[in-house]
Amino acid sequence: MNTNTYIVGRGFLYWLDARAKLLLIVLLSVMVFFPSHYLALSLLFLLIFIIVWYSVGFKQSLRPLRSLLFIIVVMALFIPLTQRGGEPLWAVKGTVLVTREGVAHFATLALRLLIVTYSCTLYIWSTPMAAINLALRWYGLSYKGALTVTLAFRFIPFIGETFVMIRDSHSLRSASDSSQKERLRLGDLVPTVTSALVFALKAIPHLATTLEHRGFGSTLKRSSYKRLEAKGGLFIHFLLSVIILLATFVLLNSI
Amino acid sequence: MSDYFKIEGLTFAYQGYGQDEEPPAVFRNLSLTLQEGGKVLILGPPDSGKTTLARIMSGLLPRYIEGELKGEVLLNGRSVPNLAPWELLEECTLVAQNPQEQLLMTTCGDEVAFPLESLAIQHPELEARADAALESWGLLEYKEVNPQELSGGERKRLLLAVTEAIGAPLWIMDEPFDDLDEGWRQVLKEKIKTREGAVILFASRYLDEFDPLFGSHYLLEGGALSGGDVKAKLAKVEGGEPFKVEQDLLHGEHTLKCNEVVIGHSRRSTDTVVPFTLKVDNFEITTGEVVALVGPNGSGKSTFSRVLCGLSSTLEGSVTLDGTPLNNQERLFRVAYLFQNPDYGIFLPSVREELGWSQRHTAPQTREALVGEGASLFDLSLEENPSMMSYGKRKKLQAAVYYILDRPFVIIDEIDSGLTYSDAYKIVALLKKRGAGVIVITHDRSFTLNLASRQYKIEEGEVVESGVGE
Amino acid sequence: MNEKERPKSAALSIALMSVLTAVVVVFTIFPRIPTPIHGYINLSDVIITFSAYLFGPWVAAVAGGLGTGLADIIGGFPQWAPFSFLIHGLQGIMIALIARIGLKKGVPGDAKIYMQILGGVVGMVIMAGGYYVVGGFLYGFRAALVEIPLNLIQSGVGVILGIVVSKSVLKAYPAVRSLAL
Repeated sequence: MNTNTYIVGRGFLYWLDARAKLLLIVLLSVMVFFPSHYLALSLLFLLIFIIVWYSVGFKQSLRPLRSLLFIIVVMALFIPLTQRGGEPLWAVKGTVLVTREGVAHFATLALRLLIVTYSCTLYIWSTPMAAINLALRWYGLSYKGALTVTLAFRFIPFIGETFVMIRDSHSLRSASDSSQKERLRLGDLVPTVTSALVFALKAIPHLATTLEHRGFGSTLKRSSYKRLEAKGGLFIHFLLSVIILLATFVLLNSI
Repeated sequence: MSDYFKIEGLTFAYQGYGQDEEPPAVFRNLSLTLQEGGKVLILGPPDSGKTTLARIMSGLLPRYIEGELKGEVLLNGRSVPNLAPWELLEECTLVAQNPQEQLLMTTCGDEVAFPLESLAIQHPELEARADAALESWGLLEYKEVNPQELSGGERKRLLLAVTEAIGAPLWIMDEPFDDLDEGWRQVLKEKIKTREGAVILFASRYLDEFDPLFGSHYLLEGGALSGGDVKAKLAKVEGGEPFKVEQDLLHGEHTLKCNEVVIGHSRRSTDTVVPFTLKVDNFEITTGEVVALVGPNGSGKSTFSRVLCGLSSTLEGSVTLDGTPLNNQERLFRVAYLFQNPDYGIFLPSVREELGWSQRHTAPQTREALVGEGASLFDLSLEENPSMMSYGKRKKLQAAVYYILDRPFVIIDEIDSGLTYSDAYKIVALLKKRGAGVIVITHDRSFTLNLASRQYKIEEGEVVESGVGE
Repeated sequence: MNEKERPKSAALSIALMSVLTAVVVVFTIFPRIPTPIHGYINLSDVIITFSAYLFGPWVAAVAGGLGTGLADIIGGFPQWAPFSFLIHGLQGIMIALIARIGLKKGVPGDAKIYMQILGGVVGMVIMAGGYYVVGGFLYGFRAALVEIPLNLIQSGVGVILGIVVSKSVLKAYPAVRSLAL
């Protein structure tokens, strides 16, 4: 099971410090929820898309779009149909189906979703998990919180593999008559889930023991092996983030 | 001169949980002393309590796994059970038998650095020490690699690197030679030999590597330690005569065959793009025979087994039964595969339910009879809770499950790990008695020589027939 | 049971939370069925309910919130991560707190069955309601309605399987009680 979200790429976003970049992404995502014209939003989305394209390549940059396609279709069907006040664009036998306001509303919502999705995705693509963890610690996440996240990532592949082995071992014990097997599949879920859980639970005392065996719990102040380094000084990175945010703000309010 | 490390009158029992009887004591009045820099080998058959003793010595038990401890464990005059584990960080380090128990981090570099961070060691010493330890175990190039992507042997080396980085004066090692390739065994042997600090090493088999290493030898058996000729004593405890059995060829004579088969899978690691392939030109097994499958770690023994039993597909060619090709689904209920770790296949709260589960479509009376037979042949009691049984018993339960499923072919992965010779022989003999064709995967030469009539070997990506024991 | 000197330590709570978080991630990503808005329905609620019954509100909150949040990030829906964190976190807390009402000792999994179901139902409402509100904000409230029945099915399956699985785990691995915080 692959837990790696980092994607090798190039450009400004790969250079920008994880802490400054986090501030940028979060405030940008909040900013698009203030009222703004959908043309401004589409311009912003286009810009972001070009940056993603440049950073990770065209094929990769389409992936978030694909995951959103379905919901955007649902929105396209629901929103204009249910919002029928305003200037008619399409009417069948005197019944107004689509209005300019409905389309505008749909476009605004869809673009917000796209912008938020692409910004967040870009952050996790361009920032290694360890750096995200350190950035969150810089913003106040406790060492224990960060350690919990790291340990979760350590156990995800282990538990994923265990789950596959249990499922396999289950199918090896199945009755030879395959028609009976089909019928029992849902009921089989309980033993499979139970043994996966017992397997995981048995790891807990060992994990707690090993943490302490490796010195966790001591009152000594821990040193830190991994560090974040902002090339050229952290201030410059934050300054650039703020400038980008201001430019975005101006763009969103210009139309 | 006062003793450096001393155990006196140790008695220990795990806590029972609502079962009728409390679990029996693992040790009764066990004692041991060790001088500074001393080196001790403790041999013991499977399930004799080696892992339990190693954990108690390291101050890790009882703690999150509960139990009752009586007697004294003293390190430099301080009582180990009364110290918190982190107070012992610079005193002693345990290398666990199963590396998964001791891995914490998502890169090898972080893994080695974690205890050094606890000791508040600052850069640049922190990185230098971590790198040096990784280097000496051949793992420096894996610094940014996730330990979960390493092989079993590499994980063992990672734990040894962590141990070396901490540099505690006492190393407690639970089967450290397990999983290591020949070259790294020599490295470990050399490290133990030239080391100033003390070593307590636990093992279930006497290895040639042990010869000049230890000042004293003990056998752990029946809850106590004894000295003398431990090698001979262990052999006696182990048993080790293969069983002679009458075969009833329940299934008649059938042959499972691989002709011109190619097996492959892509490696998980991101930077190796070279896919793994295994060629099987000619492999066959007939019901009633025992065939050994040998090969180094990571050579593809498990991958090949997964194909035989229908969990994975072949890339080219097919697996045939008496000349008819079988698809994956058809192989699943003709070829049993006993994973090395029995726990993947155990999930119900009693032996009775566990054995009965696969037979849930048969009439209750037949089922009861089968379950009873399986339990008594494999020395299991029906009401026992599998998750609280010993490892060896869980392996026997796993074998019993497939015994009553009556598969014509059975693959047993690493049968000798965690079982005494006599138990392992018994399992094979019972399966053979039913007329099954048995493939045993093992590292143990004497085991192969005693059991198998033929042998296949995996060499440079190919499965080829070789002389038994070669 | 032996309650005398078990260390209630940070190491144990971190171990519990991180392992169960990983279990939630695996069960969120592995068996999934695609649905319109949130992407997929999955078995995360089974593990959240289970954690609430066996380990109480705090472990359930972290495992549920962090687990589903990380699963969103790994599965390619990072924009949902903060909301999943809050919604499933709250769901875990409430299931455990309600199930624990009237329970003098032991784990919430020992509570009377109707309290467990009541906790589960409140959890279902929090989960489906939470995603409706956030979805409404992101897609418009009418489009978000589509999601409600699917979320109710997912969390409903979670409650039923959660109750069954927590009973069977307590039976199959009784030592688990010694881990409860």
